[in-house]
Amino acid sequence: MTDPATDTAFDGRGLGTERLVELYRQMVRIREFEERVKRTFAEHPGVIRGHTHLADGAEASIVGSVAALRPGDQLTATYRCHGYPIALGSDTAAMMAEIYGRATGTCGGYGGSMHLCDPERGFLGTSGIVGQGIPHATGAAWAAQIRGDRDVVLGFFGDGASKQGAFHESLNIAALWKLPVVYVLENNSFSAGVRTEQEDANAAAGEPLATKARAYSMPGVTVDGGDPLAVYDALSAAVARARAGEGPTLVESRVYRLSAHGNSIAPPGVPLHYPEHEAISRFGAVEEYEAAKRGDPVPRFRAALVAGGVLSDALARSILADAAEEMQHAVDTALAAPFPEPAAALEHVYAEAPA
Amino acid sequence: MSTHETTYIGAVMEAIDLEMARDERVLLLGQSVGGRPDDPFVQRYGENRVRVTPISETAEIGMAVGAALAGMRPVVDATMAEFLLVAMDQVVNEGNRFHHMSGGRVRVPMVLKAGYGFTAGWAGQHTGSIYGMFMGVPGLKVALPSTPADAKGLMASAIRDDNPVLFLHHYLLTLDRGEVPDGEHLVPFGQAVIRRPGADVTLVATGWTVPMALAAAATLAADGIEAEVIDPRTIAPLDTATVLASVRRTGRLVLVDQATRHASVSAVLAAEVAEAGFDALRAPIVQVTGLDAGIAYSRPMEEHVLPDEAKVVAAVRRVVEYSGTRV
Amino acid sequence: MDAEQTRAVLATMWRIRAFEERVGQLKRADEVHGLIHLSIGQEGVAAAVCGQLRTDDAVYSGHRAHGHALAKGAPMTRALAELMGRRDGLCRGMGGSMHLVDVEHGFLGATGVVGGNIPLALGTALALHAAGRDAVAVVFFGDGAVQAGLFAESVNLAALWRLPVLLVCENNGFAEFSPRSAHTPVERVRDVVAPYGLVGGTVDGNDVDAVWAAVAGLLPAVRAGEGPALLECLTHRLRGHYEGDPDRYREAVSSAEWRERDPIARLQRAATGDGRLDPDELPGFERTARDQVERAVLAARESPFPDAALAASLAYRR
Ligand SMILES: Cc1ncc(C[n+]2csc(CCOP(=O)(O)OP(=O)(O)O)c2C)c(N)n1
Ligand SMILES: [Mg+2]
Repeated sequence: MTDPATDTAFDGRGLGTERLVELYRQMVRIREFEERVKRTFAEHPGVIRGHTHLADGAEASIVGSVAALRPGDQLTATYRCHGYPIALGSDTAAMMAEIYGRATGTCGGYGGSMHLCDPERGFLGTSGIVGQGIPHATGAAWAAQIRGDRDVVLGFFGDGASKQGAFHESLNIAALWKLPVVYVLENNSFSAGVRTEQEDANAAAGEPLATKARAYSMPGVTVDGGDPLAVYDALSAAVARARAGEGPTLVESRVYRLSAHGNSIAPPGVPLHYPEHEAISRFGAVEEYEAAKRGDPVPRFRAALVAGGVLSDALARSILADAAEEMQHAVDTALAAPFPEPAAALEHVYAEAPA
Repeated sequence: MSTHETTYIGAVMEAIDLEMARDERVLLLGQSVGGRPDDPFVQRYGENRVRVTPISETAEIGMAVGAALAGMRPVVDATMAEFLLVAMDQVVNEGNRFHHMSGGRVRVPMVLKAGYGFTAGWAGQHTGSIYGMFMGVPGLKVALPSTPADAKGLMASAIRDDNPVLFLHHYLLTLDRGEVPDGEHLVPFGQAVIRRPGADVTLVATGWTVPMALAAAATLAADGIEAEVIDPRTIAPLDTATVLASVRRTGRLVLVDQATRHASVSAVLAAEVAEAGFDALRAPIVQVTGLDAGIAYSRPMEEHVLPDEAKVVAAVRRVVEYSGTRV
Repeated sequence: MDAEQTRAVLATMWRIRAFEERVGQLKRADEVHGLIHLSIGQEGVAAAVCGQLRTDDAVYSGHRAHGHALAKGAPMTRALAELMGRRDGLCRGMGGSMHLVDVEHGFLGATGVVGGNIPLALGTALALHAAGRDAVAVVFFGDGAVQAGLFAESVNLAALWRLPVLLVCENNGFAEFSPRSAHTPVERVRDVVAPYGLVGGTVDGNDVDAVWAAVAGLLPAVRAGEGPALLECLTHRLRGHYEGDPDRYREAVSSAEWRERDPIARLQRAATGDGRLDPDELPGFERTARDQVERAVLAARESPFPDAALAASLAYRR
């Protein structure tokens, strides 16, 4: 393993101590949020219904990506969507309330875990259908190109989504029209319980998934998604390219999802829980999973910052304590929040014309 | 109100043109859109807003969703209704869902324009009247104009609507001519129109079957049977109230629909009227629809599965002559 | 291509040419109706590819399918009867031009949905492979299909599973009324599939000897189960996208230029030039083909229209 103290260079980016600490804080907040979602299944059975997907392991990638944006930029994502709004500054209490199905939730309880959004902060929404958000990002980038304000759109999706026709069609058009979009392929090596090399010709050939960019004469880069600064660098370059009107980039961010694909799926009445990671449950790859745990991007970045003299142990502890407190508050308020009126189900079927 | 004569398809394009001139957020994309510097839309609105696309239906429609989320009002010319099926998820499970799933925080104003019902030797894959599979999709509106004036007015309303709208124009009506209001012309969604008043029987028809029903009504009038012909114009939302009120006057209902019987507007209206208007009915409801089969290529078979004027006339006679046994 | 093979390929090309020219006339006379896409100018690809296939190899095509069906062995009379909507048509008049099927001769079908045939060919390849057969599946499609999502989905799976499928792209530079440059920044289809590790290449599709050689080079490995291949044939359709297309979006090809490009004329020049064929035998190919087409027209006209009720009764297999 590389020495965390030396594999991230702090200077040269002009991020400054405060931004660096801020990046770390966002990573910790995301991790804490996801931990509390997970714990809810044990501590408050029945409170979360349906399917949740956690971003633990992808915090560095998310935070590093979002850090490359400026106000006005936008993004779309998938069902695994809790991390982005946290990095964008959305209210975690409202997010938790959404996941708990409460009227005070981000989307009033209409969306749930898979469909968070925060359009005011540029988070346009998600699709729960694999790959289908990719054209949404592409279309938003088309809108940005027409507005001519040099805004950029990030489209986040997983490795499995790169096998969807929507990926192919979108990347081709984005390259053809030189759209200001950056495709962030979070390659966590699994599509649910299928390993990437079981379903992807490039992966099977030992090639990075960024190879696919060549089919569209688009730049494709692969980056260590466990290192927020490496991600920030890759995204900054891609975003700058997009902003300059030079077209899209495919960034493959290598991450390792630390939880199972999602919580268990069961009929009502059967308590839900987070099962063991598929690496172990399906493939018996205990050592692979343990290694991923050892490479956990959150402590890794903390160690790098501490070693680089940017973060003190005391500050790191207080960041963690603050995050824990924030998420405790999120859980408490969400639990106490009212459910929507049943008849509200029929609202928002159609958008009313603005008055 | 001054009017001019134009074709059904010309009226559709006129509405798109006017709306693009009126609102620069309106965009037009599709496989047969623009693509040449001398295209009139490209000349008027520029290549940014008028874009030819590759054969990538999922991306075309998905990009419209994304552009709408980002504040634009895209119109996708999907050419033929069947091509929507390649991108079914985007049509019935993306754009239509976002407003509701976000609790009203985002909206997806977009129009999917597609032709349908081209029963002119195109065989099985390019001819369907497949609106039945879209009319029950929450969040999606569906317009089925039958006249040039409605084609213009419904398209304009579709573009101004804040929701995804599937605008289906009938290919067999493409070159039909009619008077169309000059300038701004909006036809509201969810408001059926009575094309011909009549006291003896209610005839409901959509799209290409509207002129068929009117012709049948003229034939029947010669025999003293007065049919009231109603055109719902949009099937989502569907104006059941106008149909019910008419049935309360006539006591009889014949439904004409080009779609396969079990995925038709007529099946839905039959159920609604049976439930809410049973007391007013003096005879069973009769549906004259496409048969539940694909459209065959060869002409005699193609015609066999479709409704026609004679079938409508015969159905009305059966209903009017109904005497308490079976129709 | 040796002399015998050249004769067979030339005969096939003439059969397609004569058939399609006649279909164009029948369409104008309203004896054939619906939407008709002709492949005049592209016959060399169908003839050189199918000329090296066995009956048990499966072929799929798209909307421009007449040539592929004929080259795979579909009887001309039944193909024409289908286009004329008659009972003796390949599909009893149910399908028409875009939906020809002749299972007996391994022509598993055409589809009007651009790219829709590609996954079907993969499925057939999978079935052939699973059955331990050394037959292959071949699918013809246009350059426009390459930008469709299911193309990439299919290429990935074909490569991953090493399916015995040969993808033949007839790149005529146009999809409907717009040039390839309006569809993609990637000019060559081989560059789209290269990142997936697909073998293959690009040939001049109007140079029939080159197409033949390319297929001969690729087919054995596909048949041996070494995985899929893509052959991109650069070609040119002489007619509009469909019959009746005013064709105002392309530069007209001068007749001198066309004589240069016409795959039939080119093959005839090449084969007589290098002595494979005798100049005297050339007129016979065209004459035979045109005679055969005329006989097919007469026979197809004899066939009655189908019983209309068949339309509904075939909705399900009973
Ligand atoms: C899914 C789908 N989208 C659109 C169409 C309409 N369409 C028919 S042929 C065609 C062009 C196809 O171009 P290409 O694949 O290059 O084949 P070519 O016609 O050039 O042989 C289009 C867009 C269709 N039939 N199917
Ligand atoms: Mg082409």
